[in-house]
Amino acid sequence: MSSGQNNTVDPLTLIEPFIKMKGGLIPALHTLQEHLGYISNESIAKLAIAFNYSQAEIIDVITFYDDFRTKPIGKNLIKICLAEACQSQNCKKLLTDISSQLNLTLDETNHDSGITLKEVFCLGNCAIGPSVMINETVIGEATAEKIISHLEEMVHRDNE
Amino acid sequence: MSNVIRIYIPNETSANSVGADMLYQKISNLIKDENVKIIRNGSWGAFWLEPFIEVEKDGKRTGASYRNIDLNHLKTIEDFFLNFEKKNPFDINEIDFIKKQNRIVFSRIGQQDPLDIDYYRKTKGYESLLTALEIGHQKTIDRIKSSGLTGRGGAAFPTGIKMQTVFDQDASTKYLACNADEGDGGTFSDRLIMESDPFSLIEGMTIAAYAVGASKGYIYLRSEYPLAKGFLSDAIDIALKNNYLGKSIQNTDFNFEIELRIGAGSYVCGEETAMMESIEGRRGLVRSKPPLPAINGLFGKPTLINNVVTLATIPALLSDQHSEFSKIGSNKSVGTMPFQLSGNIKNGGLVETRFDITLKEMIENYGSGTKSDRPLHAIQIGGPLGIYLSSSMLNTSLTIESLDKLKGSIGHGGIIVFDDSVDMSEQARFAMEFCVKESCGKCTPCRIGSVRGVEIIERLQKNKASKEDAILLENLCETLEATSLCAMGGMTPNPIHSIINYFPNELIEK
Repeated sequence: MSSGQNNTVDPLTLIEPFIKMKGGLIPALHTLQEHLGYISNESIAKLAIAFNYSQAEIIDVITFYDDFRTKPIGKNLIKICLAEACQSQNCKKLLTDISSQLNLTLDETNHDSGITLKEVFCLGNCAIGPSVMINETVIGEATAEKIISHLEEMVHRDNE
Repeated sequence: MSNVIRIYIPNETSANSVGADMLYQKISNLIKDENVKIIRNGSWGAFWLEPFIEVEKDGKRTGASYRNIDLNHLKTIEDFFLNFEKKNPFDINEIDFIKKQNRIVFSRIGQQDPLDIDYYRKTKGYESLLTALEIGHQKTIDRIKSSGLTGRGGAAFPTGIKMQTVFDQDASTKYLACNADEGDGGTFSDRLIMESDPFSLIEGMTIAAYAVGASKGYIYLRSEYPLAKGFLSDAIDIALKNNYLGKSIQNTDFNFEIELRIGAGSYVCGEETAMMESIEGRRGLVRSKPPLPAINGLFGKPTLINNVVTLATIPALLSDQHSEFSKIGSNKSVGTMPFQLSGNIKNGGLVETRFDITLKEMIENYGSGTKSDRPLHAIQIGGPLGIYLSSSMLNTSLTIESLDKLKGSIGHGGIIVFDDSVDMSEQARFAMEFCVKESCGKCTPCRIGSVRGVEIIERLQKNKASKEDAILLENLCETLEATSLCAMGGMTPNPIHSIINYFPNELIEK
């Protein structure tokens, strides 16, 4: 799954199955983001009506959770683990290497390469760190070279 | 059928993170013969060996590590077998790391396809559910109580007593919520159960729900575990098709369904009351207790909340393994504990064993020392809210009681090893920074105190001799401990205290 799709699905169609669900707002947000890439103002307005909340209340929920975003990001999302087990495996150096080789810093998108970099605390791959997650793929014993070759392979597969 | 050759290639996050998926693609393309079959098994939890590929031939199963090995030059499956034989394959059950463990809860991981329900049943799976349905609610709870099981999520509360409280509530609707928001750095036991033996969790949930009278269960799974999400969804579907979930389970009047809910990247949602808020569709703000969730929980109803490993332990307690489990250990530290050995360690992975082993045994006998071969310097036990021990404290026993005396906790069982390149003042700073980033924001000391904490520690990093900052940090920690609603703020001082006490002069000059 790529993290930044964009098409013309009506948010309401996506929200519909979750309106009657108990506590359906978070599953609805996940689905919106999966299909539209981010939670747009239009989506927020429709969520507010559908769930009978104010728009402020919807934004309140969105901003609490690190996963949800209100702006589009790059085509590929790299999450670098900066938790303790990866710290012991020098994830700080990995972060420096990634930043310099991919030319971007944390919470930033490089618009030329379409890559967004974020931090994460623990991917559960702690015995063979440092770890990063590219979209939904975890890479163990990660190096900047490994990450770049993975990204290149993805481009290669896309072109096939 | 006897001449069928089986190749086992794990499908599990850690194995895939070092290439198991790619090797699977490669090897499956080589197979032209229907006598060669690939099984995507789970991981054995010996992660330094991953991707660990096994071949089963003439009743003998051996394996070898394929870490950083390129198979692109192979043309036929015979080439692969020749390549495999050259690696001196061995039986993984014969290596010390596995042999010395006492795997009760994790007995199935690595063996077969985790979604093979026939294998699950062949290995006593679902026998315990049938037992529970036969002996009834109270006797099921009594079995859990007499086992001595305490919660493996971090708080170590007696599981049977919690179940009794929920069972005793007079309510027409009750819930079960499985906490699968395994957020502690250095932990992966829940993930391993969900990916490599998901039916044990689902059976455990079903038994627990039956025992307390819940008809609906939620699994609150962190979003960082997409592979576990796939395994759980499939396992729930298979259980439904086989009448282990759904209506009139196994021809009784017991109905139970499980819904999978995905978190959204918040650590504090692993705190049980924040988790309930999140399941209800709100910000993950911690609730004050009382009321206890067992009395007034999810959607205002009595709710049994347990973590993944605790629930996955329940089937063993209703089988003939009950006495084996309860005979191990004493006090709160009864039964086996799945320790997760990680960080700068040669042989990292899942170690299910008795609580009362020493840190030395864990790091030297299981872990074989630091991966960097540099001297050991610090060991963090029990996640971000746990404590750091120094290399002179290796005789510490890993029981709940022993760590309690050191003002720490075994938490969810994470053990992270650091070599002498670690800067302990930086680990202290991170403890506060983590609280800044993950605090739900409800309690002022946690929300703002953590920000001040980072600032004080940064000043100490420049001047370790500052008495003023040392006192300020001590007062701040005391305030956090005394005035936070949950463990996030209340236990953030633990790692900092341990660094001050066990690593003299590394943060504060004495």
